[in-house]
Amino acid sequence: MARYLRKRVLTGILVILVSLIINFSLIHLAPGNPINLLAGKDNPSQEMIDTLTKKYGLDKPIYVQFIHYIKTLLKGDLGYSIMSNEPVGKLILEKVGPTLLLALTSIILALVIGTALGILAARKRGSKFDIVMNGLSYLFDSTPNFWLGLMLILIFASKLKVFPTAGMVDLRTQSEGIAKVIDILWHLVLPLTTVTLIQIPYYFRIARSSVIQTMSEDFITTFRAAGMKENRIFNKYVFKNAILPTVTVFGINLAYVISGVAIIEIVFAWPGMGRLMMTAISKRDYPLLMGIYLLLSVSIAVCMIVVDVVYAIIDPRIRYD
Amino acid sequence: MKLLSIKNESVVYRSKTKNVLAVNNVSFDIDKQDSVGIVGESGSGKSTLALALLKLLPKNADVTGEVLFEDKDLLKLSTDEFNDLRWKEISIVFQKSMNSLSPIHRIGSQMADIYTIHDGSADSDEVKGKIINLLEMVNLPTRVYTMYPHELSGGMMQRVSIALSLMHNPKLIIMDEATTALDVITQGQILNEIAELEKKLKIARIMISHDMSVVANTCRKIAVMYAGYLVEFGLVEDVILNPKHPYTKGLLKSFPPLKGEKGELRSIPGYLPDLSIPHEGCIFKDRCPQKENICLYTAPKTHIVENGRKVMCNFAGGDC
Amino acid sequence: MIEIERIAKMNKSGNFKMKIKKIISSINNVKQLKAGIILLALIILLAIFAPLIATHDPFELNDDMVSPPSNNYILGTDGLGRDIFSGILYGARTSILIGVVAASISGIMGTLIGGISGFYGGKIDAVLSEVINVFLMMPTFFLILIIVALFGSSMFNVMVVIGITTWTGNARLMRAEALSLKQRTFVKSLETIGESKFKILLKHIIPNGIFPIIANTTMNVSDAILTESALSFLGLGDPNVMSWGQIVYNGKSYLTNGWWISTFSGIAIVLTVLAFYLIGDGMNNILSPKLNSNN
Repeated sequence: MARYLRKRVLTGILVILVSLIINFSLIHLAPGNPINLLAGKDNPSQEMIDTLTKKYGLDKPIYVQFIHYIKTLLKGDLGYSIMSNEPVGKLILEKVGPTLLLALTSIILALVIGTALGILAARKRGSKFDIVMNGLSYLFDSTPNFWLGLMLILIFASKLKVFPTAGMVDLRTQSEGIAKVIDILWHLVLPLTTVTLIQIPYYFRIARSSVIQTMSEDFITTFRAAGMKENRIFNKYVFKNAILPTVTVFGINLAYVISGVAIIEIVFAWPGMGRLMMTAISKRDYPLLMGIYLLLSVSIAVCMIVVDVVYAIIDPRIRYD
Repeated sequence: MKLLSIKNESVVYRSKTKNVLAVNNVSFDIDKQDSVGIVGESGSGKSTLALALLKLLPKNADVTGEVLFEDKDLLKLSTDEFNDLRWKEISIVFQKSMNSLSPIHRIGSQMADIYTIHDGSADSDEVKGKIINLLEMVNLPTRVYTMYPHELSGGMMQRVSIALSLMHNPKLIIMDEATTALDVITQGQILNEIAELEKKLKIARIMISHDMSVVANTCRKIAVMYAGYLVEFGLVEDVILNPKHPYTKGLLKSFPPLKGEKGELRSIPGYLPDLSIPHEGCIFKDRCPQKENICLYTAPKTHIVENGRKVMCNFAGGDC
Repeated sequence: MIEIERIAKMNKSGNFKMKIKKIISSINNVKQLKAGIILLALIILLAIFAPLIATHDPFELNDDMVSPPSNNYILGTDGLGRDIFSGILYGARTSILIGVVAASISGIMGTLIGGISGFYGGKIDAVLSEVINVFLMMPTFFLILIIVALFGSSMFNVMVVIGITTWTGNARLMRAEALSLKQRTFVKSLETIGESKFKILLKHIIPNGIFPIIANTTMNVSDAILTESALSFLGLGDPNVMSWGQIVYNGKSYLTNGWWISTFSGIAIVLTVLAFYLIGDGMNNILSPKLNSNN
């Protein structure tokens, strides 16, 4: 187990390192002068040039710059946003909350609903339910998330006027306490539905094929030959065996979800990190962009390591390798 | 009273495109403490025959005929009645034992789980005790109880499967190519252990194998199957020393003898016929070295010769 | 030619011919594949004949702005008076082109990297596998965003960027195939007679293991189209070509009074992505029919 953990952590560190290198190289590889990119102007003043050069060590050889970059990072300094001149770290922290709310809730919902539907469809293989579910999963898998969000807004907010069209809180009423929570939840419904619906087919298909695969394994025949009741075979043995791919896939899905959430934040004007990133892109605010990308890579790497550990706990075959 | 009496068992696999007649009108009997080896090439229907006994075939398999186990027709029992019988009276050991238990649960707990299906009253210590007994019976160390399947070797897992099958001291055990996946030495050991256990626990055995030598060494009677038909049946010494069906003769010739003259190793030319197409005459006609005109049109009857010997050939009664 | 090489050639072409026969006979059995192919054929026809079918020049700014579907403008017009129907027809070309090229780049890269990794084994495999793992963990979409933002959003850039960030799936598949093919006797014989490893990889390993990659690449086309439309939606697509994602974006501000703008363009995306996806999934069903719900 320890050896397995070590290997996963090493990969994680490697990922972070690679992200750092990518971050670093992009600034230097992109067309245009790194100084212009960092200053956000085409004609920075001499004073600016000097400050930036000193700060980022731009007159020194590349590898020294890189080491300097890493050192700054370790101090917690992610640089300063060009747009607002505030520390990148602070900006990110302000916006992380809403994004986490949307992302985490949708992941859990999609996992549970998708897996449950997949298991059900597998058990009722070939039935109308199975066929319909399969068809729906194809459909939602082919749907662009931003379009789905727009359609939901069109139907439920615009025409039916059940849910608000955008934002996280109603800016006019300025509610507090419980009322505020309810207000947030109300605004959460449509964006959450969008992100969740997009993810469900993924978990559905994995669960379905995994259950079908497990049910054809030899040990199922053993239990049946011994007279074990189908329900017990399923609940105790099929379930735990079939859930393994879902756990693996969960880790990989994280990277995709984050990008989906970012786009949905734009569609729904949800005040999270995704929106921050989009603004940064349109304003070419590279320090901010790099900071966000780095943070994302680190979080995903950490999450994947956690997922791998959970997998090792469930599957004893991995532990003893 | 016969322990198991199979009368005219047939199995048809149905699908949208075709129906495959995998087992065709097979009949034979097994006495208490008897041992019958069923041999034949792949696709002969020997596994299907046995799996049908325990209702382990897929849903699209149609089983007809009569299978009398101690005078109860297995094919007509309800699901509940049959589940009572399963494992307590008849059990089975499969070929690929490595995957015969869930890989992510401990062996002991799975065995205990299987045990409590038929004996829910025993408390957990009692059950554990019984499982450990079973493991000792098949010469496995006690620590196997807490291990996982992938930690054992093929031979050890096979022994676990055998222990499982002996759990409720059944009257009949079916071994479906149970030793085929093992190396020769382990196979020999396990076959010896099985013989001892049978004598001790008074169990009857159906042994399915494509390996004639295993059957010859460990069984009292032998049933030779081809393309779903039972072509020859009888005591092992009778059939092997004096085979009457051309297929049996061909099978015996394809196994090299350890002693005696170096003869030619001959395989039987040709392939199994397509079992989804109805055929005329004898099923073996395309590959039979002794085929005559009559074989093309007349399906041979099963002739009963002396000593309970059965041969399905147009020329039986005399010598083929 | 040396006997063994001749046998290997027979093996490969025999396998190939058998596989093609199997494919054709399976197509009729797998409903998804049939539906997908029909749908795709339709879409491709529309894309090819766009200039003939389109009612207007998609970039032309007509006087009727935000007008609902009518006889003149089959699917309505957008905020600047551009005909949606024509826009969607021309947009098909963009999406399919970008999707196919990007997926092909990713397919070729993945096949080579995975094949080398699996076939050569040893240290090369260890290093390349680690690379694959690292790429899996990266938030590739953001990487694409950043790269496009830095390097420009031309169609070429978009295709290349999507291609070089999505090759991991194919790499893993090819690696698995290479690992199992490595053990086959005909491969071992070729190695024994001295054929160079790289030649074996190119002439025998890759062609024999390519089928699951083709299925996967087809589904990659779907992903590429979705990614490209997302980029266009965010304003990072090529402004010189008509793109469905961009039409959806254009319609965003007119959601209440001009619903047709975003709706129809989105439906076009769904149908095209669905077509490629059905084909890819259908191909996978041929490979492992157990999972087909039609059974």
